[in-house]
Amino acid sequence: MSRPVSHSSIVRSILAKDLKEYGRDKLWAFLTVFVLAILIGMFWVLPDSVDESITVGVSPGFEILVDQAADTLGVDVDAGQLDEVVAQFEQEEGLAIVSVESAADLEALVAGEATAFVEGSQTVVVPKGSGVQPPEDAEQIGFDIGIAFPDDFLATTASGERATVQVFVDAAVPEEIRVAMAGVIGEFAHAVAGDALPVATPDPEEVFVVLGEDRVGNQITPRESFRPLLAFMVLLMEGFVMSGLVAKEIQQRTVTALLVTPATTGDVLAAKGITGALAGLAQAVILLAATGSLSVEPALILTLMLLGAVLVSGVSMIAGSAGKDFIGTLFYGMLFLIPLMIPAFAAIFPGSASPWVKVLPSYPMAQGLVNVVTYGDGWSETLPSIGALAAWCAGLFVVGWVILKRKVETL
Amino acid sequence: MTEAAIRVEGVSYAYGDIEAVKDLSFEVAPGEILGFLGPNGAGKSTTIKILTGQLTPQSGTAQVLGVDVTADDPVMQAQIGVCFEEKNLYESMSGKENLRFFASLFGMKDVDTEELLRRVGLADRGKDRVGGYSKGMRQRLMMARTLVNSPKALFLDEPTDGLDPVSSQTIRKLIKEEADRGAAILLTTHDMWEADELSDRVAFINDGELYTIDTPENLKLKHGKRSVKVRVREEDGVREDTVSLDDAGVGERIKDAVTSPGLMTIHTEEASLEAIFIQMTGRGLDE
Repeated sequence: MSRPVSHSSIVRSILAKDLKEYGRDKLWAFLTVFVLAILIGMFWVLPDSVDESITVGVSPGFEILVDQAADTLGVDVDAGQLDEVVAQFEQEEGLAIVSVESAADLEALVAGEATAFVEGSQTVVVPKGSGVQPPEDAEQIGFDIGIAFPDDFLATTASGERATVQVFVDAAVPEEIRVAMAGVIGEFAHAVAGDALPVATPDPEEVFVVLGEDRVGNQITPRESFRPLLAFMVLLMEGFVMSGLVAKEIQQRTVTALLVTPATTGDVLAAKGITGALAGLAQAVILLAATGSLSVEPALILTLMLLGAVLVSGVSMIAGSAGKDFIGTLFYGMLFLIPLMIPAFAAIFPGSASPWVKVLPSYPMAQGLVNVVTYGDGWSETLPSIGALAAWCAGLFVVGWVILKRKVETL
Repeated sequence: MTEAAIRVEGVSYAYGDIEAVKDLSFEVAPGEILGFLGPNGAGKSTTIKILTGQLTPQSGTAQVLGVDVTADDPVMQAQIGVCFEEKNLYESMSGKENLRFFASLFGMKDVDTEELLRRVGLADRGKDRVGGYSKGMRQRLMMARTLVNSPKALFLDEPTDGLDPVSSQTIRKLIKEEADRGAAILLTTHDMWEADELSDRVAFINDGELYTIDTPENLKLKHGKRSVKVRVREEDGVREDTVSLDDAGVGERIKDAVTSPGLMTIHTEEASLEAIFIQMTGRGLDE
């Protein structure tokens, strides 16, 4: 027997009703706009570059060291040539070397008890709490490591004797950097003394085989790495709205009024899913456009976001069906939706995703988004993620259908 | 013989260990109002849920408009109307928007919402949001929503429960009009007076069991006394007489009482539906 009214017509009616209700809820409307504005603002506040160099303070400063060595050894040194040597050393080792007058100043700077300002070739050290104003237009710098050479370091090493160098490191500097720094000092001493190193150091380009795009000098910025998380947070916000709509339908028992008409549980779920997905997708598109994320593969990114929005809507419907009241809905919303954020967090720290994170339904979306936006993946590379997401969406729809039907039977 | 619009045969349903309805059987003809009388928890709402497809009977069969209720048939669902005990309306939408939305679920685009609102006395409040309606107004809107598709079978679950007299009267009038139109109506209530006034037949249900089903008149005749109680004011006080309708000379005695200048009241001693219910089930309707 033919239906008196088609499923699509019923879904359209429920969808129009849901959008009307959604638009009239002032709290959700405010939160939606507020969260969107906050997330877009957050994106632009995040740093858009990565400082790959390590700032090393040296005392008493290369010029003083060289002058003293020249005096002791009775030789002339070209200051311009010294600058060239230091610049070359900085480039080769990935270091930024800043001269500081004394070892005590250096220790205070690395310990955070003083602040350094660079003005031209001068480094001004201002102890914290001293009330001394820094020079105008001076650039503030922070130190990761400080190397305090003895005043006669060059003369001592040049004569083949042993010199003791003090290295100050911040507590947060990892062990491997400390060891590497000791190596650098040793290499420096050998160079000054005119000795060859006891071992041959290979050319780094021959030793390291970089797999994928070599991002040295072009690191993923905090802004880029937060992009999937921000997009996902918009979807989650809509997820809470969605679960609220479903919960309201159940708690006010309007769902029973729907299901004694030709509307089926599937129609209700489909309408809710489309409402949630549309609302989530619309905001995600606004966020992605406002953060300039749609310049590469826009169709692919929108496909991923659409599936992500459907996924979050599906989970939200389950959360909305499970809660008995507002607090219950909020609880289940947090329980089901917050874990979905984990893969987006993992994207901020590449390589940190554990196997169990990869099992989470939102992983294909977060990873797919990162790979497309950051690493330039195309449709062929992203298809497995799209397939996995679509499978999760279908599975969640079936689970939602069962839960909502059982819930209605107990009303 | 007219085919029953609602037919229930041996239907049972239990929530876990609690048997909500047990071996229920009855029929409702088109144009008939069957009053389902019972206290809270008797199984009235469960019966309506089964008949409207919200619950699947665990045994027995139930048909509405010739279709098995388990078939989930959209054609049958398009021809029924359900008025719930809870006021399940969309509060952020107006009365008119609620009606239009539900009409759209039945595929009706040109429903006359003005006429429906006029019938329930809400013509001037149709554009107001339901959130601002009183309990009586909400119930009247629920009734209008139930009629949006001109249903052939109506399931009304306590439609006048807790309402003011004006709202109750409006709803009772509508129920009668719908029965006159030819709709089969299953009306659950624990209001004996309402059941007596509206129902062509009443069914007594308690603890999920159907005790009896008959016209209110027959029940009262079967269970009441065939007598008339007369109170007459006399010089030395008030005299009260009980006149048996089966006694010889009953006509003369009643005539004397009616023509007596001191006549105060004259009542038949037929039983009320509530008294009959208590007599049969051992339980009051308001328990």
